[in-house]
Amino acid sequence: MDVIYGLIPGMILLGLVSVAVFFWAVRNGQYEDMDGPAHRILDDDDLDDPDTKP
Amino acid sequence: MAAVGESTRCFHCGLSAEVATRCEGEIQGVVRSFCCSGCRAVCEAIHEAGLEGFYERLQRREATLMPPPEAPADLDQYDLPEIQSEFVHSMPDGRREAHLLVEGIHCAACVWLIEKALGGLPGVDFAEVNLAQQRLRVQWGQEEVALSAILRRLAALGYAAVPYDTESREGLLRRQNRKLLFRMAFAGFGAMNIMWISIALYAGAFTGIDVEQRRFFHWVSFAIAAPVLLYSGWGFTVSALRGLAMRYLTMDLPITIGAWTTFGYSAYQTLWGRGEVYFDTVVTFLFVILVGRYLEAMAKRSASSATVRLLELQPRMATRLTAAGEERVPVRKLVAGDRVLVRPGDKVPADGTVAEGRSHVDESMLSGESLPVRKQVGDKVSAGTVNSDGSLTVEVAVTGSGTVLSRIIHLVEAAQGSKADVQQLADRIVPWFVLTTLILSAITFLFWFSKDFDTALLAATAVLIITCPCALGLATPMAITVSAGVGARRGVLVRDGRALERLADITHVVFDKTGTLTEGKMRVVDAVAVDGMEVDRLLTLAASVERHFRHPIAQAVAGDGRVKRYLDCQDAQSFGGLGVSGRVEGQPVLLGNRHFLEKQRVEIPREVSDIQQRIEDGMGVAVLVAVDGHYVGVLHVQDRLRDGADKLLQMLRGQKLAVTLLTGDSERAAARLVDQLGGMRVIAHMLPEDKSKAITALQQQGERVLMIGDGINDAPALAQADVGIAMGSGTDVSMQCSDVVLIGNELPKVSWAIRLGRQALRTIRQNIAISLLYNMILVPAAMAAMVTPVFAAIAMPVSSLLVIGNAILIRQRMRGEELRWM
Repeated sequence: MDVIYGLIPGMILLGLVSVAVFFWAVRNGQYEDMDGPAHRILDDDDLDDPDTKP
Repeated sequence: MAAVGESTRCFHCGLSAEVATRCEGEIQGVVRSFCCSGCRAVCEAIHEAGLEGFYERLQRREATLMPPPEAPADLDQYDLPEIQSEFVHSMPDGRREAHLLVEGIHCAACVWLIEKALGGLPGVDFAEVNLAQQRLRVQWGQEEVALSAILRRLAALGYAAVPYDTESREGLLRRQNRKLLFRMAFAGFGAMNIMWISIALYAGAFTGIDVEQRRFFHWVSFAIAAPVLLYSGWGFTVSALRGLAMRYLTMDLPITIGAWTTFGYSAYQTLWGRGEVYFDTVVTFLFVILVGRYLEAMAKRSASSATVRLLELQPRMATRLTAAGEERVPVRKLVAGDRVLVRPGDKVPADGTVAEGRSHVDESMLSGESLPVRKQVGDKVSAGTVNSDGSLTVEVAVTGSGTVLSRIIHLVEAAQGSKADVQQLADRIVPWFVLTTLILSAITFLFWFSKDFDTALLAATAVLIITCPCALGLATPMAITVSAGVGARRGVLVRDGRALERLADITHVVFDKTGTLTEGKMRVVDAVAVDGMEVDRLLTLAASVERHFRHPIAQAVAGDGRVKRYLDCQDAQSFGGLGVSGRVEGQPVLLGNRHFLEKQRVEIPREVSDIQQRIEDGMGVAVLVAVDGHYVGVLHVQDRLRDGADKLLQMLRGQKLAVTLLTGDSERAAARLVDQLGGMRVIAHMLPEDKSKAITALQQQGERVLMIGDGINDAPALAQADVGIAMGSGTDVSMQCSDVVLIGNELPKVSWAIRLGRQALRTIRQNIAISLLYNMILVPAAMAAMVTPVFAAIAMPVSSLLVIGNAILIRQRMRGEELRWM
């Protein structure tokens, strides 16, 4: 069971990393617009370009 | 003769193209129909720019458009440095950046269109649309492109954009909410991790655990709980101490005492390597309380934005007439005695009197009245009102903070500032709750101290831990959040969650007349034809002439539902608000008031006077019609009652609420409305300032007032009232000042909203009762030193879950209410 002495601090460290990522994301405005980007990525192709049509 | 199909849809927005405003345009070689010229212009601009992919994208998402908003006038002003300094951010490399609030964004296809179109403008570095907040961030080079050109481009595509200074408007509030979110997220992280450790400890307590491992788990818990208490719990600690310094027991005090004593006791246990620890309780407790606080903050609205919207109405630039000619100056530089030129479509820059010219001025923002008011030499005009047809020269009398508009802004600010935070139910209980807890804890300690110190400390702390006001902290925010959600789904948008509680014990309902109880739009309510003329024929003739004019009465006649088709009309001509004329099928047609027709040598039969008198007594407008020099009939044009107005008043009376009507019209006009709707008090001849004073007077009589309005002139009253409800079709300013917005303008929903408020208050009371009951059962157990960590870990969340569950039940309970009013 000695493995827990390493695993538990490791778990907390990983958790802290994800908290840091979350803080960064909020500061960076990643949550400001929850609807737009999901559509924007689909709209990048030009519709009229025959090459991109399936 | 233009034939009209019944089911034509606008090629741009897809709405049915009504006869009155329909027009045709050629798009890529095909003639298409549009519901209005605005839609046609936008559609043409989109195709010219080669962005017709917009429509395909729109279709793919099955989204629908709306006709474009009216384009903001006078865009050139935004290029002036003194105006740009207010909202434009200059980069060190000479690029500029601004945030714009964009009206008219419907769906993701609009995002694509805006970004694509602006990105194509030379000099624009990037344009980024925030769909959720309807904002646009744009960066450009000042030398290559002017901001007005960017705004004009947006206007051509059907989007009205105004600069938006994010920092000054909501910077502080946003930073506070963000801090709260961080604190909540960190506590959440702590709670998740400490839970695993606790499960190991609880399992160990049952099956046996190595002493060394248990100590290790205790230390890990300590390592998680300490930063959570310091970071996430810091806000509570500070505000509790501040409250103590001001000798006031706040909710934060028991939270702080509970958290710190629990933590201190557990740390003490850990340090000496014995007994049980309660670190997990500290962390989950802070997390739950922070969730409640965050929900509360989300339900609150920012108070500042209303006045900012009002300021937006104030024109920034004026055309000053000097001996040398015209010059454009910022409004701030105008002084009394200056002469300014106000062209058609421009806003009047300052209060003053007309020195030259004659025109009609749209004063709807001040009076709520939709009909433009005639202005000639000597008449007074107000800043912010819109000049409609002729040019006016105005001699400035009052500028800046002295104008009527500024006074409204002041009133709104004053009302919002004076609205003391009504003590909420939970707040009133808290001091007693805190006091009782502290006393009980002290008694417990003294009682057990005579036996042994350890048990005394454990039992006293257990009292504090068990009474931690988790459920009490969630009681109000949960009920409010769920109720607001239920309201939003029914078209009742709750802007300030706390208003729901106030809505529950309203005693007096005050209505604005125009635009609220009535539609605020003119309609033909009756038509009388003589001389063998049929009513349909009369309306068709009138509509064929009137459709060439934009005056609200003309629009009412032209848009009448009984008109099936328009006849060709030549030489359509307007006589300055008195009447109009035109030639239909070769016959001259005259429409207007009696005076106008008599002047054109039309003989008016005597009985028409009676009809006219009756119409005008009710504040309607009588439009007399003559064909070929002979009087043929009269149209009764009037603002109509909104659907459901009578039903609402019936329901309000059923709920035993007093009703008052405020109107700027005469008593005579209001009396007619009262005849239709039944008993209510009427206060007539109301100026915008008087409306809020009337509300204050009611409040001083001890009434709790609900105000329902729609116009800018209602804004001070909406802010002053205990609860303000705005119509969704109303002005932005009125919505910003109100606590609740009726999205669909359905009046009966006011009554429903009151019932929703009552339901919310009832649920809050139940929730408080649940949490108090929980304490009454568990506190004796804690005082008897019978509470173990496992027991606490199970019992504490139960109370929170009960409160949350009870709040969610609001949905079911309101379902029954819905059936009652439908």
